[in-house]
Amino acid sequence: MDQITPLLDVKNLSVRFQMPGGGLFGPKRFLHAVRDVSFSVARGRTLGLVGESGSGKTTTAMSAIRLAPSYQGEVHFNGNDLLQLDPEAMRQERRNLQVIFQDPYSSLNPRDRVGAIVREPLDLLGIGTVEERGARVSELFGLVGLRPDQMSLFPHQFSGGQRQRISIARAMSTNPSLIVCDEPVSALDVAIQAQILNLLRKLQDELGLSYLFISHDLGVVQFICDDIAVMYLGQVVEYASRKEIFGSPKHPYTQALLDSAPSLARRKSSGYKRQAAVSGDPPSPVNIPPGCAFAGRCPKSQARCDTDRPVLTADAGRSVACHFPN
Amino acid sequence: MAPLLEVKDLKVEFSTRYGNVTALDGVSFELNAGETLGVVGESGCGKSITALAVMGLIPMPPGRIAGGSIKFKGEELIGAPESRLRQLRGAEIGMIFQEPMTSLNPVFRVGDQIAEAILLHQGGSKAEARARAVELLKTVGIPEPDRRARAYPHELSGGMRQRVMIAMAMSCRPQVLIADEPTTALDVTVQAQIFDLMREIQQEFGVAIIMITHDMGAISEMADRVAVMYAGKMIEEGSADAILDSPGHPYTSGLIGCIPILDQAIALSDRPPPLAEIPGVVPPLHLLGAGCAFAERCSQVHDACTVSPVLIGAPHAVACHAYAAGKS
Repeated sequence: MDQITPLLDVKNLSVRFQMPGGGLFGPKRFLHAVRDVSFSVARGRTLGLVGESGSGKTTTAMSAIRLAPSYQGEVHFNGNDLLQLDPEAMRQERRNLQVIFQDPYSSLNPRDRVGAIVREPLDLLGIGTVEERGARVSELFGLVGLRPDQMSLFPHQFSGGQRQRISIARAMSTNPSLIVCDEPVSALDVAIQAQILNLLRKLQDELGLSYLFISHDLGVVQFICDDIAVMYLGQVVEYASRKEIFGSPKHPYTQALLDSAPSLARRKSSGYKRQAAVSGDPPSPVNIPPGCAFAGRCPKSQARCDTDRPVLTADAGRSVACHFPN
Repeated sequence: MAPLLEVKDLKVEFSTRYGNVTALDGVSFELNAGETLGVVGESGCGKSITALAVMGLIPMPPGRIAGGSIKFKGEELIGAPESRLRQLRGAEIGMIFQEPMTSLNPVFRVGDQIAEAILLHQGGSKAEARARAVELLKTVGIPEPDRRARAYPHELSGGMRQRVMIAMAMSCRPQVLIADEPTTALDVTVQAQIFDLMREIQQEFGVAIIMITHDMGAISEMADRVAVMYAGKMIEEGSADAILDSPGHPYTSGLIGCIPILDQAIALSDRPPPLAEIPGVVPPLHLLGAGCAFAERCSQVHDACTVSPVLIGAPHAVACHAYAAGKS
């Protein structure tokens, strides 16, 4: 896990949003979306941020690259702390940091031709001459498996999978070193997911890209991620390599996620009974419990878990935040 | 024993700006008491239309049932008067929808919404219906059912809302429960809870379930038998074990192969192998030709595929020329 100088190094990142109410002179109430999260992405590798909705995966990634405000923390990228850069320096840095969004229907401007959509980052950052940009766009279309003659079409003339290819081409246009992939296949049909995942892996192999990959789907994560950070209620509860997470999960929540994910090995015909089903729902991020956030749903919870918040502690190259790990 | 529900050669058409489009083309299946039939396929393959047709909820126009029969306990539902269908819906055939937020009424308390279904189908007093609603909420595993019955849908989490939907669908003890992607909007740990609950309910009440999904993992956990659909046709049908372990149709094996499903061997390999791909996309229904709809995406396509294959074989039926040629 520990690589020399990771590409992206996030330290103690916290994000909170002020809640309405409480009155003019009353105490301010905050929603703690991300709490003291640290992780790093090595060059040419993929870090998966995994968790259920509301666990803070997207907010973590978006605030790390300053698409959402953060409250505390450091984000080291290319020798700079992104959170301290002035706006123009940050804008220039964006050529190295791109995003693929979840929904290929709402993330492409319906009034622009797709060639212009893919070219836009180059235009905005003033990269190359007009001819060079045009040539780059047709090269990108080939790279993601579209035909250059499709450049003059509009987004609605493409299927969901093709639109996601356009999103990938746009993200690749500035030749970034890190791409944040925010659930890039969860809006796609099952048969199309495989095409996009294979494309992302091929691009990584050919161009040495790093991905920060957000997903709730453990099957997808297992296929594409090298390292995995499991998030629960704004915190990283377990952080380890793919083999460690899937082979020997330490946190009861990771265990529960693995037991909940559908698998072809679990058959109704063979009378499958779930081992570690968790009950209930996560607590509210406005009233964070004083102890472990997972304690209320955890099958291994003891008295200490309700009062004493576990911290993420490293052991043999992996870390887990639990008083009673497996 | 006669099947509980028997669908034969069902054909549904929609009039669109491209002319008449056949959304369901000769769909046949049977559902026996106490079993779960999984219906699987990509979006647009006709899974949900099949469910709506059984419930008599196809919007007409633009929809039209162009042929076939749907028999529930021997009674023909196609052409049955709306009043009869209304008696059956909810009382004998229940339905759980995909999005629990939009299928509950936001301005009524959930207990009252469940009680409404009970009053409508079983009569009795309001107080009795309310008490029964609380009892149902308890059955589906909602903590503090007394208090939750007075909650509005927005006060409940997604998983709780889906439990309310299941309570409502089960309120009149239906014999058939149609679940249309019941967990797509939910997180995996909550999905697991709902699956466990549905299996418990089936064991306790013996209800037959039609489970519509695109997720082969859900099929594996929930289904006894599986029907695979593609472009409005049923292309393979058989026991869950037969379909998952030895799929006959190239589309079914493609669908199983391309899903990044949880697998210990893959997770522990140094570099997971690339996923199998099904090239291309589902053709638009108005552009379907006379041949096999899957032909242009199929790796085993040959001359015979210009003629649409029929679903043959029992108990494992496959609609594929290549499969039939390999068998004989």
